[in-house]
Amino acid sequence: MMIQMNAIDYVNSKYVRELASKKMREDGRDALSYREIRVAKGLIKNAEGSAQVDLGATRVMAGVKMVLESPMEDTPDVGNLIVSAELLPLASPDFESGPPSPESIELARVVDRGIRAAECIDLGSLLVEEGKAWSVYLDLYILNYDGNLFDSGMLAAMSALKDAKVPAYSNGKAVMSERVAPLKLNNVVSSCTFVKIGDTLLLDPTGNEERAADARMTIETDGKVIRAMQKGLSGSFSRQEISDIIGAAFGKHDELKAHIDKG
Amino acid sequence: MASKANKPELIVGGKRLDGRAFDELRPIKIEAGVLKNADGSAYIEQGNNKILAAVYGPKEVFPKHDADPTKAIIRCKYSMAPFSSLEGHGRSGPNRRAIEISKVIREAFENVVLLEEFPNNEIDIFIEILQGDGGTRAAGLTAASVALASAGIPMKDLIYAVSAGKIGEEVVLDFNMIEDNYSDADMPIAIAPRNNEVLLLQMDGSLTKQQFEKAVDLVIGAGKKISAIQKDALREVYAKIERKYENKE
Amino acid sequence: MKSIVVPGEQIPGNVKSGNVYVEEGKAYATVLGLYDEEGKRIITLEGAWNPKMDETVVGIVQEAGRNNSYTIDLSSFRRGVLLLGKFSKAEFKVGDVVEALVDRVNGKKEVILSNPRLLRGGVVIKIKPTKIPRVLGKANTMAKQISELTRCDLVVGSNGIIWVRGENTALAISAILRIESDAHVSGLTEKIKEMLVNNTTKRS
Repeated sequence: MMIQMNAIDYVNSKYVRELASKKMREDGRDALSYREIRVAKGLIKNAEGSAQVDLGATRVMAGVKMVLESPMEDTPDVGNLIVSAELLPLASPDFESGPPSPESIELARVVDRGIRAAECIDLGSLLVEEGKAWSVYLDLYILNYDGNLFDSGMLAAMSALKDAKVPAYSNGKAVMSERVAPLKLNNVVSSCTFVKIGDTLLLDPTGNEERAADARMTIETDGKVIRAMQKGLSGSFSRQEISDIIGAAFGKHDELKAHIDKG
Repeated sequence: MASKANKPELIVGGKRLDGRAFDELRPIKIEAGVLKNADGSAYIEQGNNKILAAVYGPKEVFPKHDADPTKAIIRCKYSMAPFSSLEGHGRSGPNRRAIEISKVIREAFENVVLLEEFPNNEIDIFIEILQGDGGTRAAGLTAASVALASAGIPMKDLIYAVSAGKIGEEVVLDFNMIEDNYSDADMPIAIAPRNNEVLLLQMDGSLTKQQFEKAVDLVIGAGKKISAIQKDALREVYAKIERKYENKE
Repeated sequence: MKSIVVPGEQIPGNVKSGNVYVEEGKAYATVLGLYDEEGKRIITLEGAWNPKMDETVVGIVQEAGRNNSYTIDLSSFRRGVLLLGKFSKAEFKVGDVVEALVDRVNGKKEVILSNPRLLRGGVVIKIKPTKIPRVLGKANTMAKQISELTRCDLVVGSNGIIWVRGENTALAISAILRIESDAHVSGLTEKIKEMLVNNTTKRS
């Protein structure tokens, strides 16, 4: 037999399991608290919008690029949203170079679904003339990993969209060096991720807590309704547990939205 | 180099568009130890370039058959974030340009890292261009050098790189993006400052032998300043902590 | 006088051995370190662990082989090897945390270990091996102080892994991480003591 995980991670995931059974956490937080959140917008001037989010030691950068393209055939009146995520090898010894991992694709798709379902971007406003619309390319760049990429990724994504400005359009051409108006947003979605370790539920898991987790649940809300959900890992949740998690996610929306709106 | 059809005037009244003299560097800022998980890291701003470099290792080579029993191997990955350019969205994943740049940067570091100290191991260097503004490979190498030192990797020297080239008949240092696009020659060079040996050199365009010599002179002249900024970044990691205590007392 | 040197920097005086590169009679530092003029040496500030005989290490059993032999993850590019033999009473499981002594480094750069002891429960943290002497302190004063004020058992491995178990584990870990980042500051023992005392009195 051989440990597949990094050996230190293996020992520490056992330790956080033991703590979780006593309703404790390695950093002394209570079960329903986030780590410190810091948002910095507009660091990348070449991007139409950008934001860097620190969630504890997790650091995610989001960049928005707008590209003039033909709308999709089945939706000729609106622009597109394309979300991608990269788990960069500089962010963790466990991340490897190469084609996108299933984890990075899941992250991008879950963030995409919430933004799309909550109709955050006014995609109709992106049409500049018949057959031409702005596509919004939203890229999540993971710079340092210590758990909970879903919530930090969503915070970075929404903050970058808030920061984004639409380039000028004249004589049938995009003028990228000139930005005319803020990207029109109609809604703000936030993401709340819990892990289940034994029968303990913990909000905003650290890397050690994610490695120790049996199951993971992400709830994305706009404060009024649920907009997207994703259950992960091989463990299970009871209906009651899911109800409790949804309640907590609604309770956290204003706090998260304040970080997105600020600055 | 872009098409010369719409070439803008890059030198007006003896000065460059951003007001610099021909032999003047853009402002450079380097911070060491910026990423928690990496064994060493550095962030550089050079003009509007914003670049992260990180180092992991030495660590066991995987897959094992790539290992060299006599010395460590270096792996280097240079890549540009999809949002790093003003024009367009870059596709992710390495393209031919990125693969070539990664290779020449790796070869420069193979010259100075004391590889024999770590047989069967690898040292990984990652360079991420968050915002690109011309001369990213040179600035990335300068940052990676600081990242390697901050990881405690033994090296013969703290190397740096910067580009020089030609606008019209003028030999000019450290192109920004627009100069890079329309210059008449571009030549990134990496130097080991201890003995001024050349560790990386690429060039395209047109240069006379005299212009080449002039360009190398500009690089080595600017190198003193770049080296000093690199050293200061490494010392600042420790000085910052000392100040924290001084302020308290 | 101690000053920070970087790779390639010429050392004004001479250096007894290690961490220098000599060319044409001049010595240049090869690492980021503190140049100690009196001791004529360069103390590395960052970098990999260099095992020495009889040092204590902390590792994790990664693989169990035949005849009571084990591969130990030391969180280093050098792997640890424990060869106990058929007749040894000690036995370990994969994932166990063990404390052991360095016996030697073999030709394959493996660290051969001896005198293993199982460390039950607790948590391990990994810090830069170059900072371990500071965590121990002169005559182990620093480690003892952390242990007493947090009521934790500590085993400090020279390879950079520290095992912690006890009452106020989180405080012990934050003290250790503080020593790691502030290792080059003088009078650190008193400063850490202050931090530990302030935090323990706040809690009770």
